Amino acid sequence: MTLLDVRDVHTYYGESHILEGVSLSVEGGEVVALIGRNGVGKSTTLRTILGLTPPREGSVSFRGEDLGGLATSEVAERGIGWIPEERRIFSQLTVAENVRIAVPNDRDAEAALKNAYGTFPDLERFGDRDAGTLSGGQQQMLAIARGLAGENDLLLVDEPSEGLAPRIVAAVAEALTAAAEETTVLLVEQNLPLALDLADRFYLLDNGRVIDDGDTDQVSAEDERLRRYLSA
Amino acid sequence: MTALLAAAIASEAASLPLVPPLLLAPGIDVVGSSAFGFLPGVTLVALGSALVEFLQPVNLLDVFLNGLAKSALYIMIAVGLTLIFGLMGVLNFAHGSFTMIGAYLGGLILVLTVSGATGGLARIGLFLVGVLVVFGVLAGLGGVLEVGLIRPLYDRSPVYQILLTFGLTLVLDELVRIVVSLYGLQPISDWQNVFGTRPAFIASSLGLGPVDVPGLALFQIAFGVVTVGAVWAFLTRTRYGLIVRAGSEDPEMTEALGIDVRRVFTVVFALGAGIAGVAGVLLMWDPVWGASVPLAAETLLPAFVVVIVGGLGTFRGTVVAGVLVGMVDAAMTWWFQNAISFTGLPQITIFLILVIVLIARPQGLFGVEGVGGH
Repeated sequence: MTLLDVRDVHTYYGESHILEGVSLSVEGGEVVALIGRNGVGKSTTLRTILGLTPPREGSVSFRGEDLGGLATSEVAERGIGWIPEERRIFSQLTVAENVRIAVPNDRDAEAALKNAYGTFPDLERFGDRDAGTLSGGQQQMLAIARGLAGENDLLLVDEPSEGLAPRIVAAVAEALTAAAEETTVLLVEQNLPLALDLADRFYLLDNGRVIDDGDTDQVSAEDERLRRYLSA
Repeated sequence: MTALLAAAIASEAASLPLVPPLLLAPGIDVVGSSAFGFLPGVTLVALGSALVEFLQPVNLLDVFLNGLAKSALYIMIAVGLTLIFGLMGVLNFAHGSFTMIGAYLGGLILVLTVSGATGGLARIGLFLVGVLVVFGVLAGLGGVLEVGLIRPLYDRSPVYQILLTFGLTLVLDELVRIVVSLYGLQPISDWQNVFGTRPAFIASSLGLGPVDVPGLALFQIAFGVVTVGAVWAFLTRTRYGLIVRAGSEDPEMTEALGIDVRRVFTVVFALGAGIAGVAGVLLMWDPVWGASVPLAAETLLPAFVVVIVGGLGTFRGTVVAGVLVGMVDAAMTWWFQNAISFTGLPQITIFLILVIVLIARPQGLFGVEGVGGH
């Protein structure tokens, strides 16, 4: 069943035409990677789906419902979670509060916190500390833990490995692999081997358009065409 | 030519006091009988003996208690402003008008319900009823104004919100002026009947050891502590408070977690307006403030000072700045009442704190550049 359907979406920042007719779909249970160079519109695609930067033309539908005109909170309420680029954890809230706020019901917050600490044991001893005091890697773990705590049906994950040490990348990859068993994931990732490893299918974006797509098991990280579009 | 110029400079210099008065040894009378040309009658000897007097434990305790009472008032009038700015980035110029309306409304409730036979506890009970009613009415008014007037302007420059709330304060003040005048009250001077509704212990002084403390000051301190405690508990112990703190830091991310931040804006604006109104109820019994139309401007300026000194939009900063400003105000009031007979100056010290903080730490004591938060 098609969970997310993005049809011929055109998105602008002011007068800059960023997405020039992007179409993609994600089936329930899949992990789909959105790959491409910096600035081709990958993060904007996620923002468009969330309604943070609404499209001027085209449509986004989730479980068959058109999301056009909905506020971002209403989109999120329908079961779409976001793990944004640059983490965007709440630096003045404690680690535990960052997880709690993602859970609509206070009663479920303790269970979510337990899950988060189970996924990232490093976070547990910092539970009462302001999140802004964590290292970059720990902040990324927290951002993912917060994203997972919402128990969404679709998770939009933006550059989870960016700027992280290899040990942290491995922990992040493991957490996303585990998450993918229970939820559908649309992943933006520049680390091609990681993206192909995690995803079932991919879309290649260039200049605001999808120029290729397919199953990840039919391409490799050494694929000349992919590498050409991913190099700066 | 050079010699003539040198002689002219020497002649000019001889006519000027070369040593600043404050650098002279104590006891030296500089300009006639005054050490400060702008404060007639103040000598360094007098200042020295005043300092000895000021440092007497009784006086220090007196100033400390007065400072706490002033701090409580400053925090009360500023806390709503900081909640609103922290979350919404709206600098609400109508905040003082909410306080002024609260003072009149609270006064009206007490004047209508308190008679000569009403006992002290009953008067406190009616005061608390007034607090609840005023909170409800002002919160309702704030909510309506946010939805009807401020919400359409969120996507525009902050200048629009400032102009709107400034216009709002003019409209509200004039409306109250008309209503008050219609009932035969003088809008400029304090509403005297309200002072008559105070319980006896608030209108008199209580002996605390060697110090006579006005009952009103103790009442204000207690009320301020309860308010700060309640707001702190709201922000740190409730899910809504958690949302307010998160929304203050990153509204977009908060929205993406499925939280309707616009609705939270309305609730927080209502809450801020309600607390501003409650501050007015507290001020109506204080002869230094009282219920009058100019109360709006009189409270708005110190509220801005406290909020800016604390760091725009931080609750913790507002509490610390309120205490700082209250203590300095109390100390300067003592000095200008007991050592320097120039009663207009204590107010200036409040703004001096603002100037010093803006120069030394422009983001305020607890402010983080570019980030709100509590």
